[in-house]
Amino acid sequence: MLRRILIANRGEIAVRVIRACRELGIESVAVYSDADAQALHASLADHAVRIGPAAPSESYLLVEAILAAARATKADAIHPGYGFLSENAAFAHACEQAGIVFVGPPGDAIERMGSKIAAREIAHRAGVPVVPGSIPADQSDGAIAGAAHVLGFPVLLKPSAGGGGIGMKAVREEAALLPSIAQARREASAAFGNDTLYVERLVEQPRHVEIQVIADAHGQVLHLFERECSIQRRHQKIVEESPSVALTPALRARMGEAAVRVARAAGYRNAGTIEFLLDGAGDAARFYFLEMNTRLQVEHPVTEQVTGVDLVRAQIAVASGERLPWSQAEIAQRGHAIEVRVYAEDPSRNDLPQAGPLLLYREPVMPGIRVDAGVVEGGQISVHYDPMIAKLIASGDTRDAARRRALAALRSYPILGIRTNVPFLIALLEHPRFVSGELDTHFLDREGAALRSALATEPPAEVLAIADALLPGVEADLRVGQDAGRDADPWSALQNVRV
Amino acid sequence: MSASNVRVTSLGGGRYRVNDGTRQWLAHGVAAGDARWVFFDGGVYLIDAAPPARRKARHSHDETALASPMPATVVMINVQPGQRVAQGDLLIMLEAMKMELPIKAPRDGRVNAVTCRRGELVQPGVPLLDFE
Repeated sequence: MLRRILIANRGEIAVRVIRACRELGIESVAVYSDADAQALHASLADHAVRIGPAAPSESYLLVEAILAAARATKADAIHPGYGFLSENAAFAHACEQAGIVFVGPPGDAIERMGSKIAAREIAHRAGVPVVPGSIPADQSDGAIAGAAHVLGFPVLLKPSAGGGGIGMKAVREEAALLPSIAQARREASAAFGNDTLYVERLVEQPRHVEIQVIADAHGQVLHLFERECSIQRRHQKIVEESPSVALTPALRARMGEAAVRVARAAGYRNAGTIEFLLDGAGDAARFYFLEMNTRLQVEHPVTEQVTGVDLVRAQIAVASGERLPWSQAEIAQRGHAIEVRVYAEDPSRNDLPQAGPLLLYREPVMPGIRVDAGVVEGGQISVHYDPMIAKLIASGDTRDAARRRALAALRSYPILGIRTNVPFLIALLEHPRFVSGELDTHFLDREGAALRSALATEPPAEVLAIADALLPGVEADLRVGQDAGRDADPWSALQNVRV
Repeated sequence: MSASNVRVTSLGGGRYRVNDGTRQWLAHGVAAGDARWVFFDGGVYLIDAAPPARRKARHSHDETALASPMPATVVMINVQPGQRVAQGDLLIMLEAMKMELPIKAPRDGRVNAVTCRRGELVQPGVPLLDFE
């Protein structure tokens, strides 16, 4: 068993891993940038090491600084979390060379699956369908148009060097083909300095359904069912759930087996996710391998809630060389879980990220609710990092029960001092098409604007009355005499300090 | 219903009980400088006590759409000097806090000059391109 794990991350995922370490009796080492000196993760761990200035490129992305912190604290393992260095093969290799256990896949598996083209080839050879497409060797307009004709409309033009949706062009008819090729080339060149285009069949209204896998060092590869992540905006997931209403038992079994085949073919170890595009629903649906995420995912809690498996604990066990303690038949899905990501952003200003203080921050505590957060009241959302404040995960015996619990919890989740997407999430969870489960990856493109415009902006009378009570002087007067005995409680006296 | 029918009781720690005569609610509020924040039934409200003139100034700043609204990195420049663009065309893609912030043409027009570089960290309010 590992003795001391350094967590090369920040925020909620660092807190998640620190708590798992504590549970297992493993010492934890946090690393922090100057912007995070007061952060929760830096206080919770048994040890904390400053690794540099606020900018990620000078701290959380700095391989040398993190390895130095691991050596200085004699950590025998590093957990990379997600983002930052988690999918950096060079970092995984550097850990291996330094004799530090990387709590994740082997460096060469990261490398193999990190290249979209190589990963696609591995999936294809493993007998797992991929979206038909190619990079024409001849990149002339004629050859690219020819490749599009072979696939049949609609097609998607993508920068081969790209990612994250930048520069992608959907083409639905012949007339738009040549102008779109020109524009896609221009955008690819501007964004990535390389105008090579990839042509792919476009799946209209697909669902994004991914399969969690975990593999040990003894040849056991298991899947832990699916997560439906179709609610995305600008390729960023907002809501994730398990199970997916689009899967039947037969389709679920086929996708699970396909995911295991890909992980095996990749020589994978530890936790990972195979992402699929799902075209249709039910037994007749078709699915296509998209890519593999060679790390723990942000949305891993929904899998934990429906399978009862603690994925971080399993990651640490696998990294310690232990065998996975289950067979595939022993992993079951029970009930339903929905995760919503709470972001510091302003839904009324095109989801502009927000930085600022959490003047008041109270997590809901109620049945079936889990909140994974890396912040506390009085803390700051920094301009330097991802604006995710927390993940709220609701579980219930049915999808509707989980959805209602998520709604009730969001209505009891005050976050003040900074704009958040909580009102937007409430509207989303109440949307008739979300309620009925008619999801696809374009859901927010179609419905987002209407959802945003429906958000209340005019404060109701109750809010104005509270605002009056918050005016300087008034609040103090109201408090007098109404909270007899409250001053005896040092905790509430502390919370009354005006920020 | 007017605010005068609403009874507010401070419970301490930023918690408030509000009663509108038909039912009661537990709400939260906090004040910081001119800003008063209220959380009520899942809604978040910012009541700004700043004089209207100042508030207006803040809003008009938002209309200068060709500058970044916050510190951000330029990830893509989609136009060249001299290029004519239509309203809504993507001109520049910024990234801040790991989120993409598209800068789009506010109207039909022409890009005279691009005053930022790909990969540059730009500050709020600093023009990214010259547009007319």
